Amino acid sequence: MKIKLTFLLFSIGILYWMMSTSAGSIRPMSNPLTTETALEEALVGLGVQPVIHYMDKFDPELADVGEKLIKEGEANYKDFKGKRISSYFVCTDCHNLVPETNSLTNTSSEDRLDYAIKNGIPFLQGSTLHGLYNRTSFYNGDYYKKYGDLVIGARDTLENAIQLCAEYCASGRPLVDWELDAMMNYFKREELKLTDLSLNEDEINLITNAHNQSNKIKDAAVSTLKDSYKVAFSAHFPGSLAEDKRGYGLKGDAAKGKEIYESSCMYCHGNARVTYLNLDNDVLSASFLWNNKEGYDDKSIYQVIRWGTSPIVGRKQYMPLYTSEKLSDGQLEDLMAYIKLLAKKK
Amino acid sequence: MKNSLIWCSFMVLFPGFSQTDTSKVSETFSTINIINGHSAETLKKRQWRYIIAHRFGDIAGAAGGVQTAFGFDNASDIRFGFDFGITDNIMVGISRLKGAGTPYRSIIEGFTKYRFLSQSKDNKMPISAAIVGTVYGTYMPASSDALSVASFPEFVHRFNYATQLSITRKFHPRLSVALMPTYVHRNLVNENDQNGLFSIGGAANIKVTKSIGLIAEYFHNINTSELREDFFNSLSFGLEWITNGHNFTLNFTNARGFGELQYIALNTGDWLEGQFRFGFSITRTFKY
Repeated sequence: MKIKLTFLLFSIGILYWMMSTSAGSIRPMSNPLTTETALEEALVGLGVQPVIHYMDKFDPELADVGEKLIKEGEANYKDFKGKRISSYFVCTDCHNLVPETNSLTNTSSEDRLDYAIKNGIPFLQGSTLHGLYNRTSFYNGDYYKKYGDLVIGARDTLENAIQLCAEYCASGRPLVDWELDAMMNYFKREELKLTDLSLNEDEINLITNAHNQSNKIKDAAVSTLKDSYKVAFSAHFPGSLAEDKRGYGLKGDAAKGKEIYESSCMYCHGNARVTYLNLDNDVLSASFLWNNKEGYDDKSIYQVIRWGTSPIVGRKQYMPLYTSEKLSDGQLEDLMAYIKLLAKKK
Repeated sequence: MKNSLIWCSFMVLFPGFSQTDTSKVSETFSTINIINGHSAETLKKRQWRYIIAHRFGDIAGAAGGVQTAFGFDNASDIRFGFDFGITDNIMVGISRLKGAGTPYRSIIEGFTKYRFLSQSKDNKMPISAAIVGTVYGTYMPASSDALSVASFPEFVHRFNYATQLSITRKFHPRLSVALMPTYVHRNLVNENDQNGLFSIGGAANIKVTKSIGLIAEYFHNINTSELREDFFNSLSFGLEWITNGHNFTLNFTNARGFGELQYIALNTGDWLEGQFRFGFSITRTFKY
C-alpha cells in the first residue's frame, strides 16, 4: 500500500513536471510580477494561453546574431557562414526597431510622424518590429490583396511571417533554420516588458498583485494588459486618389510635408541609399515629382505611395506601398504641398 | 606597372568610409565617367554595372561624310566593361576595348578608384575627390615593323598606365564641374614621343531636368613635346539621360579611343578637320 501510494505520488509529480515544462503550456507564476517582467510571461502567469511562437528558452548569442541579420542582412553563427538574405533590402529599410508613438496603442499616422521627428527616427511603410514577439496576427487586412494566399500561413505564425517577409517583401530568400532561430531570439529579447506599457500606478498595482488573487481580479489584470498594446496592426490599401480629388499641393501643410519628405522619402532615396532613384532636397528632384503628379503612372506620388512599385524579373528592387494607416491621405497632400513649394511652382 | 602598384598601395592604406548618409552631396555627376574622364562618383558597395560604349568614325573630313554615313559605317572604338563597388568609396572595373588602332588594338583596361573626399551639404567639405589608377594591356599580335611601338620588344611594352585625380564640386543642383589632372605613362614610345604625359582636364554638367544634362569636357596636355604635333587635345560634348538604373550618354568628341591612354596620349582627331564623331554609352547598375 505504501509502495503504491509512493508510486502514485511519483507519477503525479512527473505528470506535473511534464505539464509545467512543455512548450505552450500554461504555467503558474513562479515569482511575483514586477515592472520588468516580460508582458508575455505576465499574461501566461495570469492564465492566458501563450502566443503560438512562445519561447521558453532564450539564447543571447543567437539574439545578437538575429540583430545583425535584421540590421545588416547577413551574419555568421558558429560554424555557419551566412549569405545575404536579400541583395536589395534589410529589415530596417522598412521597419523601425523602436516604438513609433508615445503609446503602444496609438496608431495615428500623424502621431507617428510627430514622434519620428521628435526622436530622429525614419517614418516608414512597415510597422515597427518593437514588440513583434507580443503580436498574434501579421499581414493583416489588405495585405491579402498584395500577397494572396501567401499570407494565409503567415497571419497567425510569426516564423511564417518572417519567412514571407524575407522571401517576398525583401525580394530575398527564405531563412535557414539557425537564421530564423536567431531572429526569433532577437524578437524574444526585445519583447515588451510591463514597463513598456503606458500603465498608471493603480493598473501596475492591479497587475503585479493579481497572480494570487481571485479569477475576477486576474481577468481585470489581463484585460488591462491587453488594452495596453496592439496584438495586430490594421492595413488598408485605399488605392490611388482619383485625379479629381487630388489637392495637388493646395490642400496640404508644406511644413508637415517637409517632415515626411525628409524622414520618409529621403530615408531610402537620399543618396540613392536603397534605390537607384536618387532624390535630394532640391528643385530638380521636386520638379521631377511635381511634373509627374498627374495620372496613374508609378512616377506619380499619388500612385506610387498607394501602390508602390512591383519587383520584376531581373529587377527585384521595388518600392513598398504605404497603407492608409501608415500615411494618411491628408499627409499625402502635405507631402505634395511641400513638393510644390520645393519645385517653386505657383 | 610601377604607377599602378603605387596607387593600389595607396588604396589599401586608406580604406573607405560609409558614404550613404544624406549630409553628403549626391549625384555631382550622374555616373562613374563624365564623357572620357572619371567623375568622383563611385559605385556603392554590392553594386555592379555593365557598360557598353561605342565611338563611330569621323563625321566629316576625308574619312567621313555621306560615303560613311557620317561615320556610322565605322567603329573607331568599342568598350564592353564591368565595374564593381567594393565599398561605398572603392570600386574596380575591367573593360575590353577594341582600340582605335593607332597603334593599339585589343586592349584590356583595369582600374581601381578610391573616393577620399565627399562634398558635404554644409560646405565644410567643399569638394569631392577621387583617385583612379588604370592599367592598359594589349593582347594584339606584335607588329613585324620594328619601328612600331606595337612591335613589343619586351612583354612589359604591352602595358601602359594612367593616374587621374578627379576633383568635383556641385555648385548648384543644376551645375557641377570637375577638374581632372591626369598622368599617362607609356612603357614604349616612338623616338619623337615622350613616355610621360601630363594633362589637365575640365568638365561641366548642366542639368536641364533631373534626368537630362548637358556635358562639356576638355583635356589639355600641358607638357607636350613639339614633336607630338600630330596629336590633339580631346574636346567633347554630350547629353546624358538618366533613368532608374540606366544611364545613357550621347556625345560628340574628337577622341577616337576610350581610356586615358587613347584620348590623352594617342588622340589624332582634329575637330577643325572634321575628325570628330558621334558616340554613346549605356550603363546599367545592379546589386549583388
